Amino acid sequence: MVGTLDDIRVLDLSEPLGHYAGYLLANLGADVVKLEPPDGDDSRSWAPFLPNLDQPESSLQFMLLNVGKRGMTLDIFSDTGREVFLQLLSEFDVLLQSWSPQQMETLGLDQATLRGLFPNLINASVTGWGLDGPYASFAYSDIVSLAMAGVMNLSGFEEGPPTQLPDQQGFHCASINLAAGVVAAILERDESGIAQDVEVSMHESLLMAEETAMQSADIRGIDRERTGGTSGVIAIKLPGMGLYSAQDGWVYAMAAGIAGSGFNGLLALMDLWGDPIADKLREEPYASVMSEFSNSAAVFRLMGDPEKMDEVKEVFAQVDELVTDFFQKYPKEKLYVEGQKLRLLIGTINGPQELSESEQLNDRDWFRTIDDSGRGLELRYPGPPWQLKATPAVLRHPAPLLGQHNEEVFSAIGLSKSEIMQMSENGVI
Amino acid sequence: MSTESIRSRPLDGLKVCDATWYGAGPIATRALANLGADVIRIETEKRPDGLRIAQPKPDGEESLNQSGYYNNFNAEKRSITIDLTTERGHELGIELVKWADVFATNMTARAIRQIGLTWENVQEANPEIIGLYEPMQGLTGPHSEFQGFGALLSAICGVNYLAGKEDEPPIGVGTNYTDYVINPIHAAVAVMAAVRHKRRTGEGQLIDMSQLESSVSGMAGALFAWDNGQVRYERLGNRVPYAAPHGAYLANEIGDRPDHWVAIACMTDFQWAALSTVMERPDLAQDMRFATLQERKKNEIELDDIIGEWVSGFKAPDVMNKLQAASVPAGMVQKASEVLQDPHLAAREFYAYPDHSEAGKRAYDGPGFRLSETPHEIRGAAPLLGEHTWEICSEVLGMDSGEIGQLMAEQVLY
Repeated sequence: MVGTLDDIRVLDLSEPLGHYAGYLLANLGADVVKLEPPDGDDSRSWAPFLPNLDQPESSLQFMLLNVGKRGMTLDIFSDTGREVFLQLLSEFDVLLQSWSPQQMETLGLDQATLRGLFPNLINASVTGWGLDGPYASFAYSDIVSLAMAGVMNLSGFEEGPPTQLPDQQGFHCASINLAAGVVAAILERDESGIAQDVEVSMHESLLMAEETAMQSADIRGIDRERTGGTSGVIAIKLPGMGLYSAQDGWVYAMAAGIAGSGFNGLLALMDLWGDPIADKLREEPYASVMSEFSNSAAVFRLMGDPEKMDEVKEVFAQVDELVTDFFQKYPKEKLYVEGQKLRLLIGTINGPQELSESEQLNDRDWFRTIDDSGRGLELRYPGPPWQLKATPAVLRHPAPLLGQHNEEVFSAIGLSKSEIMQMSENGVI
Repeated sequence: MSTESIRSRPLDGLKVCDATWYGAGPIATRALANLGADVIRIETEKRPDGLRIAQPKPDGEESLNQSGYYNNFNAEKRSITIDLTTERGHELGIELVKWADVFATNMTARAIRQIGLTWENVQEANPEIIGLYEPMQGLTGPHSEFQGFGALLSAICGVNYLAGKEDEPPIGVGTNYTDYVINPIHAAVAVMAAVRHKRRTGEGQLIDMSQLESSVSGMAGALFAWDNGQVRYERLGNRVPYAAPHGAYLANEIGDRPDHWVAIACMTDFQWAALSTVMERPDLAQDMRFATLQERKKNEIELDDIIGEWVSGFKAPDVMNKLQAASVPAGMVQKASEVLQDPHLAAREFYAYPDHSEAGKRAYDGPGFRLSETPHEIRGAAPLLGEHTWEICSEVLGMDSGEIGQLMAEQVLY
């Protein structure tokens, strides 16, 4: 058993918006073939690049999100290309595409037409805005979706510009939903034989990430705003809550009584190391104010009570100053590991290097080594997002070189060597 | 709607015993419920889901059934309140595990031990079950007992490091970000994949889903670049390596909307030329400083100043519409109230307004993906705490009313 989708064939025509969806399906064992235009997918020209390799084979983003797939090229907008594409499509269970409604019209391949031609095909569309509605023909980009979805309005400092989320989160959220839709559609087809269309709008796929902003507007008529100054998700700076500078970097703590050992856990950590700041925090008025807000119900109540907030603001600030002094004295890893052992909710701010070297990720053998013979390299890839114990993830191929599997894909549908050669000469592949 | 609501859905008949709470677990099982699964949430009044306590609620409201935070994530589930820490309560929990095809939890290892529903217990009770375990850092490894919420995971998984600018502290993105799409929908994919395997072979399995691994997988670009090219990621604020201009620009004030920003992105030279045309600045399209993406990246500070000045002369909706008419990606930075009123989402009927007996008709986020024949859609509101205790005890667990009443009196059930 290679994976739960080991009998499923996916033709992936998607732009970068949908690459991660194909990657997820490949991880589940599907045979995913990436179909690119003859001059390559856009992201092949996107930085950053692998040193010592030339474009179009050096884009790290392309390699990351297309590993596990085979690769082919075809100009489906040419007459021959379109014909070959339709011939090819009859071999596949799933089509991933990111055609805009205009492109669909140009191709003459809207959902109904494809359904008529391929009654068993799961036709999965991912676009910026979905296939209907007043913005359906709008141009999309990751940051524009984050903006229109209300997610960006929550990110950043109060005074500064709203800030995008890292690494194309719009693309990722859309892709994950696309993969979910495809797997749901496969389950349906298995049971009833009904094949259907899947539709993802990147804009819609992000809306759940507004957290409570939507409900706050709906129920209380209040728009949540950016809270960067507290480095938290609420506008009030609770002591022991948020970003702190440690001796050698940053830590993020949630010691304000929401869960775990809370503020008492923080005191216990100070006691463990004999730090005198603990004694100061046990003095009044700090002790009674902190004990009042040692449970989540009290904290949540406080958030809805501006008068009470005003009353405790001063004490909170003084306590927070002491907490800040404490964190600054110790190394981040020690605060994290020793704190967590006391059930204090605390973590380090990790960058790529820390994650690469993470004791936890490495202990779980999460990273994967891929022998990328086409590029002459051994590459270290991140592991899958889930560990399905009976059907572990596999990556069957390194990220495809441009047109790498043209011959085997076209031969498989009965095209002769000379026909393939001719398509190549005419710029169709 | 009436014809819609009788259409079958892909997970009709799938039975889910749901011991999740907060965000990353409940949203995963919500997706399953909105695909037709019968999802039973086990809750307690002693230690309710923190989101039942959390805001937003109507002013002065203390009820555990009024939180928009909880309700949005639990549409269409049933709720049974059992005190799993009692002996009989634990037995009933195990009965529900035996009933289910899928058991789901995102509790910490410690909390799971406390309620006696570890994978070992669950699998022993029901050898064919699919077990979704979503603790913060997975079931094994030196940090498997560590705990946190999404905002803390954001720190650990790299969101904070990657977001914002180099010269600013890594404050994160203002939410418990990975709780809402990345982790729950990854989990939903994994469960559905396991369902397929179970239907084909009869075999259930453990899904050990580390929220850390899931989150990093969903933003692995910087890590992959570091591991394979020692390419150091730069924190770029609103910029990206593959587009310029790319950012948020402050538009002209309108009335009560003094801070209206517009996001604009030009990935291609074509989009840049179109932007210059809309700006009525043909000189920019000819300007060698901006002729190619490479040049625009090199001169991005001047570029941003020029775009910023132009945007500041117009109202945000006008900037968006002018640019979009020329096929340049542009959109307003909307507040949640504006998103709720967004004409595009309204035309697509994105939001659902199911009727909830205490909270009324409130907005619920629609599905993140749509299916054309057997729909993914919200057909009901979130449950009241323990709303279905009696019906589940009687219909699912086959208990008689005498026993149910007795256990309610003993507060094993509520």
